[in-house]
Amino acid sequence: MAEEAKRPESQSGAVKRLKATATASAYQKEWFQKTKERVEAGEPFGYLNADVPMEVLRAMDIPFVVNQWWAAICGAKRMTKKYFGLLRDAGYRDDLCSYCATAFAESLDPDDRKLDEEGKPMGPWGGLPDPTIAITRLTCDCQGKIFEQFAKNHGSALYTMENTVARKVPLKWFDKVIWNDWEEFYDKDRIDEAVEELQQMIRFLEQETGKMFDMNSLEKVMNLINEQELYYNKTRDLIASCHPVPVTVVDTINAVMQAQWQRGTEWGRDHAKSLYEEVKALADAGVAAVPNEKYRLMWLGRGIWHDFSFYQSFEEKYGAVFMWSMYLAMGADAYIRYHVEEDPLRALAARYIGMEDFLHMPPWNSQWYLQQIEQNDIDGVVYMIPGNCMQAVEGSYFIKKAIEDAGVPVLIFEADPVDPRKWSAENMRGFVNEFIETKVIPNKENKK
Amino acid sequence: MSIRECALKSAAFSRLKDVYDNREQEIKKARAAGTKVIAELGCDVPDELLLAGGLMPVRVYADPDKELVQTNKYLEFSFDPIVRAQFEKIVDGTYKELVDALVVSNSTDVIIRIYLYLREMHRVEPEKPIPEVEFIDWLFTRNLLYQQRNEFLIGLFQETVERWAGRKISDEEIREAARVCNADKAALRKIGELRHGSEVHINGSEALVIIGSAFFMDRKEHTKLVEEVAKEAASWPVINAPRVFFTGSNQESTDLYDKIEASGVVIVGDDHDWGDRFYDRDFNLEYTTRRAIVDCYMLREFSSKKAYTSQRVEALNREVAATAADGVIFYMNEYEEAASWDYPPQKKSLESQGKKTLCLAKMKWPMSKNDDFGDKLSAFADTMKGGA
Repeated sequence: MAEEAKRPESQSGAVKRLKATATASAYQKEWFQKTKERVEAGEPFGYLNADVPMEVLRAMDIPFVVNQWWAAICGAKRMTKKYFGLLRDAGYRDDLCSYCATAFAESLDPDDRKLDEEGKPMGPWGGLPDPTIAITRLTCDCQGKIFEQFAKNHGSALYTMENTVARKVPLKWFDKVIWNDWEEFYDKDRIDEAVEELQQMIRFLEQETGKMFDMNSLEKVMNLINEQELYYNKTRDLIASCHPVPVTVVDTINAVMQAQWQRGTEWGRDHAKSLYEEVKALADAGVAAVPNEKYRLMWLGRGIWHDFSFYQSFEEKYGAVFMWSMYLAMGADAYIRYHVEEDPLRALAARYIGMEDFLHMPPWNSQWYLQQIEQNDIDGVVYMIPGNCMQAVEGSYFIKKAIEDAGVPVLIFEADPVDPRKWSAENMRGFVNEFIETKVIPNKENKK
Repeated sequence: MSIRECALKSAAFSRLKDVYDNREQEIKKARAAGTKVIAELGCDVPDELLLAGGLMPVRVYADPDKELVQTNKYLEFSFDPIVRAQFEKIVDGTYKELVDALVVSNSTDVIIRIYLYLREMHRVEPEKPIPEVEFIDWLFTRNLLYQQRNEFLIGLFQETVERWAGRKISDEEIREAARVCNADKAALRKIGELRHGSEVHINGSEALVIIGSAFFMDRKEHTKLVEEVAKEAASWPVINAPRVFFTGSNQESTDLYDKIEASGVVIVGDDHDWGDRFYDRDFNLEYTTRRAIVDCYMLREFSSKKAYTSQRVEALNREVAATAADGVIFYMNEYEEAASWDYPPQKKSLESQGKKTLCLAKMKWPMSKNDDFGDKLSAFADTMKGGA
C-alpha cells in the first residue's frame, strides 16, 4: 500500500519531499558564498549561459555562475519586478527576453550588493559579484547583445561562441547508442568546428585568467559527468517504472538543475547518486508522492520558478501528478559521452553542439518526447511556451502533432518562467483543470 | 511626399516601378523562357552563385492582404509579422508554383526556425506544396575560424546550385556573375549619392523602388535602368526637407516611407535589407571565389540581427554621418526584438551628437494595423525643422 511521505513546505508554497533537493539548495547557497569569497580574494570568475561548455572552466578551476540558474534564483527571490523596472527606467523594453536578461537587469541595480536597514542583503544572496569573464553562445539574435551589455556593466571580458545548425537529422538520437557512437549522429564538420571553437575558448580563458588548461583535468571532469548523468538516467528510469511515482517534478527539478551546474565535480556526482538512492528507497518502500495517482502529466518547457506550487495544484483534486520534466530527462539522455579518453575535447564538442538540437529542433525534440511519453506512461502533456523568447521557439506544432497522433492530449499555453507579472495563478490553474477534465480524463477512460 | 511626378515621368524609373509593383511578372517570363528561378528567404544568399549557374534569384516577400491560415497553424505567435506572412506564401503553394527551389540564409534567428520547420514539414507532411529548401548556415561573428567555416559552407551550397543548374560552375562564371552584381551595386551607389549627397534628388520611397526592383528582375537590365535613372535624377528637383535616417525593420513596400516623408522629412538612408544595405559591399575580384563570397556577405555593414550592440552603435553612427542625417527614426515591428536591445545605447550615442531620434517600437504589420502614429511623425518633423 502506498503511503504519503512527510512533505515540508517551501517558501514558494510548493511541498518538497527530498533531502537531495534541500541539500542541493543549501549547497548552492554555500557554494555561492564561497565563490564570492574567492572572487573577493582576486580569483577569476565566469558568468556563462547555460549552453556554454562549462566543462572547460570546471577543468581549469574557474568558478562560474550559470545565467539561467541565476535567473531562476532571482525569480524565486521575487526580484524580477524590480529588475524589469530598472530596465524600463534605463530606456530598455521590459517585456523582452526575461530569462536571459534578468542578470543584465540586475546589473543596473545600484543596491545589488548593499544591505537594507535591517542588515539583510538587498540583492539575491547578497548580489552577483563582478564576473571576470562572460561567455555565451549565439543561439538567438538577442543573446550576444544582452551579454555584451551585461559584461560592460560588470567590467567583464566578453567571449561568444557560434551555433551551427545540424544537417543530419537522426530520428532516434536518444537511443543509448549515442553515448558510444556520437560521431554518427552529428555532421563531422560541425564537430570539427566545435573542437576548434573549444580550443579558441581555452586560449581566451588562459589569457584572461593566467590559468593553464589541462587535458587530463578535462578527462576527469568528463568522466565525473558521465557518472553523474548515469545516475540521472537510473533515476529517470526508476521513476518511470513506478506506479505511483515516489517523487514529482517539484522534487526533481531543483535537485537536478542545481546539481547540473555543478556537473564535473565529485559533489555533483555524489549528489546525483544520493538522489537516486533516495528515490529508490522511497520506491522500495512503496511511498507515493500522490497516493491517489491517477493521471501522469508531462511538463514541457522551462520551470515556473516563481510558482512551483502550480505543479502540485492538481494532485488532490484529480490525482494528476506532474512526474516528468526535461530537467531530469535531459540529464538522463543528452549528456553522457563515452570514449572520453580518446579525445576529451571532441567528446565535449559532441555534447554541447547537440543541446540546441535536442531541445529546440524538430524532430530531435518531438521524437524524444514521444519516446519519453511511452516510457513514463504519460496521460497528458502541459506545454509552456515563453512569450518573449525566440530561442525557446522549438516547433510546438510538430511536437503537439506527434504527441496527439500518439493518442496523448496536449495543452499549450503561454507563460514566463521568471516574470510573475505575466502569470495569473488562478487562470493557469483553470486552464489545466479544464484540460484534465475535458481531455486527460476522457482520453484515459476511452483507452480502457 | 511619395513617388514624385518627376520620377514617374522617367521611362527607366517607371520600368523599375512596374517590376517593383508586379513582382511576379519577370519571374513568369523567365520560367517561360526556361530559366530556373530560385527564391531567397533571408538577405545573405549569394546571388553571384545563382547567376553563375544561369538561375534567377528572387526575394521572398510578404503579402499583407493574405490571411495567415497555414502560418497560424504552424508558427508560434512570436515570429515577426513579416516572416509570418512570408511563411504563408511558402507553405500555401504560392512559391511552389512560382519557383524551382528556395534558399534560406540564417540572416536572423527567426529564419533559421523557418528552415527547421520547412525541413520538418517535408518529412512529416510531404504532400504539402513546399518547394525544395536549401539552407546556408552562415556564421557572422568575425574571426578566422568562422570565415573558414563559411567558405566550407559556400562550397556545399555551390554543389547544390550546380545540381540545380545541371552542370559544374567554373570560377570564371562566378567572377562574371560577380561583375554583373558589382556593376549593379555601383549603379545603386550613384543613386545613393543622389539620395544623401549635399543635394537630395531622390527620396526614400523612390530609393526603395529603385533598389527593391533588383530582387525581381534580370540583374543586367536592372543595372542599365538604374544607370539611366541616376543620370536623369541628377536634374530632378532638390528636396529641401530635414534629413532623416531610417533604422529598423525591413520595408518591402513604400507605404511607411510614404507616410514618414509625408510628414515633411526625407529619408536619406536606411540600414535594412530592402534598402541601402543591399549594395553595401562588392565581391572582391582579386580573391578566390569562395573567399570573395564570404568576404562580401560576412563583412557587410552590421545588421541589427547579427551584431553586438556596440557594433550596431558604431554602424549607425557611421551611416548617419555618411548620409548627413540630422535625425533618426527607429522603427521596430512587434516580435522583431533584437534591435530593441541596441536602441537605448544607440539613442544615447546619437543624441550626444545632437541628432534627434524618434522610436516607434512594437509596431504591427502591415502598417495600417497600427493606431495612427501620424501625430508622432509630425511632432518629430517639427522638431527636425527646429520647432518645439
